[in-house]
Amino acid sequence: MGLYSLTYLCCAVFVIAFATRIYRQFTLPVHLRWELYPVKHESSEKANYGGSYMEELNWWEKKRRRYFWNEIKYMIPEILFLRGVWNENRRLWWVSFPFHFALYMLIGTLVLLFFGAIFMVFGGTVSTGSSVILSLIYYLTILCGFLALTLGALGTAGLLYRRFFDPELKNYSSLADYFNLFIFLIFFIFGLFAWLFTDLDFAGARAYLYGLLTLGGQPEGHTGSQGFLGQISIVIASFLIGYIPLTHMSHMFMKYFIYHSVRWEDSPNLKGSKIETAILENLGFKPTWASAHIGADGKKSWAEITTSGSKEAK
Amino acid sequence: MKAQAIKPSDISKPLRYLSHIEPGDLPPLPPPYEDFNQKVITPLKEEKMANIETSLDDTVAIGIPKPKNKEEEEKYIRAFLSGLGKLFEKENNWGFLQPLLLSMEHCAKCQTCSESCPVFEASGRKEIYRPNFRSEVLRRIYRKYIKPFGKLSAKLTGDIDLNWTTIARLAELAYRCTLCRRCASVCPIGVDNGLITHEIRKLFSQELGIAPKEIHDKGTVQQLKVGSSTGMNPMAVKDSVEFIEEEMTDLAGFKVEIPWDKEGAEILLLHNAGEVLSWPENVGAFAIILQVAGISWTLSSESVGYDGVNYGVWYDDVQLARVAVKHAEIAKKLKVKKILIGECGHAHKALMVIADRVLTGDLNVPRESAMVLLDDIVQSGKLKLDPSRNNFPVTLHDPCNLVRLLGIVEPQRRILRRIAPKFREMTPHGVENYCCGGGSGFAIMSSYNFAEWRTLVSSRKKFLQILDAFKDEPLEIPKYVCAPCSNCKGSIRDILDYYRAKERSHIHYGGLVELIVNAMEGMKKPMIKFDEK
Repeated sequence: MGLYSLTYLCCAVFVIAFATRIYRQFTLPVHLRWELYPVKHESSEKANYGGSYMEELNWWEKKRRRYFWNEIKYMIPEILFLRGVWNENRRLWWVSFPFHFALYMLIGTLVLLFFGAIFMVFGGTVSTGSSVILSLIYYLTILCGFLALTLGALGTAGLLYRRFFDPELKNYSSLADYFNLFIFLIFFIFGLFAWLFTDLDFAGARAYLYGLLTLGGQPEGHTGSQGFLGQISIVIASFLIGYIPLTHMSHMFMKYFIYHSVRWEDSPNLKGSKIETAILENLGFKPTWASAHIGADGKKSWAEITTSGSKEAK
Repeated sequence: MKAQAIKPSDISKPLRYLSHIEPGDLPPLPPPYEDFNQKVITPLKEEKMANIETSLDDTVAIGIPKPKNKEEEEKYIRAFLSGLGKLFEKENNWGFLQPLLLSMEHCAKCQTCSESCPVFEASGRKEIYRPNFRSEVLRRIYRKYIKPFGKLSAKLTGDIDLNWTTIARLAELAYRCTLCRRCASVCPIGVDNGLITHEIRKLFSQELGIAPKEIHDKGTVQQLKVGSSTGMNPMAVKDSVEFIEEEMTDLAGFKVEIPWDKEGAEILLLHNAGEVLSWPENVGAFAIILQVAGISWTLSSESVGYDGVNYGVWYDDVQLARVAVKHAEIAKKLKVKKILIGECGHAHKALMVIADRVLTGDLNVPRESAMVLLDDIVQSGKLKLDPSRNNFPVTLHDPCNLVRLLGIVEPQRRILRRIAPKFREMTPHGVENYCCGGGSGFAIMSSYNFAEWRTLVSSRKKFLQILDAFKDEPLEIPKYVCAPCSNCKGSIRDILDYYRAKERSHIHYGGLVELIVNAMEGMKKPMIKFDEK
């Protein structure tokens, strides 16, 4: 039950940490516009060359359309294949892509193991001779797991190599940066060995998921042990689940906000809109900036300060 | 060329300077400019350096006075930390809190941004100009001195010492980036080093009162006090414009009138007042086009209303808001339908994008780019145009503020395709353009030897682009760089002068409206006269 407790704890940290991060994003004040073009929810033509709705004569009189499909068309290759890195930093792509793709495959493997374990809870058997769906889960788990572990080991080793030997990266790297990659590398190597020597069809991993779902239960016909290599992999994987949202590696998910709340946030402030209401609220904040020209004393609001003019200007 | 082994933590070390350009360090220029390839920045004289902080590199942008004693140093450090904390408080920095937090917390330090930076590349890859260098310095200070358990976490996430040298160098370093945000556009995560630079500038201005005098004292303060950052009061600007009217009447062959304070006009035109002094033909060309097209428009003679600049956008949110509010109040008073922003990139960004979330209620007067209206006029047939009058090679400089930061890319191109038969693009262009090197205030900053640093380093990439755009043309043929932005024009003027490109390659520069008027039929004289420029 010790391993299960650790995994539960780490999953709880994951959920709480990400929920906190996301909650904070939603509760931060509406900020000034700081978009960067191309903004991909423009029409295909504009999104292609980087144009905005402000290219239209009297744009405020026209109905704005957002083309979400254009965002999706852009984001899928960006997220799955790291198109930006491919275009701008090809040397890094050769090691960064395998690492990131391995993470997607790892998530895929976990999802498949999870569904397999659910079927098992209801009496199903995930194996070659099962129904089409269960057979599919069986084979896809092996494929995804294999890709995740091999690509992950290669990619992480490459990233670690670059960080150790490329001065551009080395001069900026901290202990934490090395630790992050090192712990991933250890995980992928142990996971690879566990798969190769003790769990070729991921039945042990699936049994662990089954145990997690049933608070420590054992699937029928399974010995209940993942072996030493498997247990080490579970410990590190659990740690990573809890650790990632506490670090900059949370960019994997927080990139959504970077794009949608800043880079592509081009909503104009129209009279009577929610944005205008939020701005009026913000203008009521009382700043304490100390420079004389600001004239802030903690009592005057932004609205008062910006309409009064500075002492120097009088 | 290999990057130097300077690290972010070196910023606090007592070195003479962190970066220095030796002859031959800068990327070479092609013929006939090879004689500039060994040029370096002229060293500052000892007496000029005696009392100011000069330990960053070969130049000085701000000229921060050295503290007189240890107590004063401590005072600066306390003020810096106080300001840094305020950047992360909604009461003090609601305007940029969310973007700042996202960029501070998610950088993977992959350095993809470096290759996109024209300053880093054109400096011969000097480490301190790497976009992530100053961001990493700020991140380390923030984590160590502002976040809980900072001293402990600094050992794991990257240590740095905070002393007077760190602060003084960081303040100067914030003025070695043009805020073009090319780095942000290539970041795989979307981290914005330009934004972090902008926030560092704000911290120094809003908490410590430190900013280049051209931007603050002679910039926003003078604009709010006198009416314009040029120093022109309303009477002076009216005098100058009267002279422009006469000149334009002579050029057009019909009476050109520039209306002032016309209540109820459709458009309030906001020029960068620098045009009135340095490029009066631009102001005149606008007047001719709007008059011939039958547009109802006006200028304002009220203080601040005749100068569209807003330097606050580069360094100080409060000054930005004060100028923007003033512009909006004047438009409201004149009861115009919209504000039209002339050929000034940062004025576009300040009033159309940034101040969009400052102006509320009746102050939220619609704002439009002149590029859009000019495109409409040119395509509508209201002007009789003869493109053969512009039968010389033309290339377009894209002001960062118009394209990457505002998404106004095509209108100016549609105009050029209509009026300039020999128009060709630079490489790259549009939202991938390179800054003129004068962005974020650099074009107007010339204290100490900063103008030379700008011309040799931050504008170098643009100069190479211009030469490349005309590389297939004979040297003796006149060529035109169209730069629809006042500060960009200033910067391009300086590089063409410095490298003697007018004499050597017959390269000239100017705005977009001048080209339009030059193509108009019925003008008594041409607007563009290469030999006289």
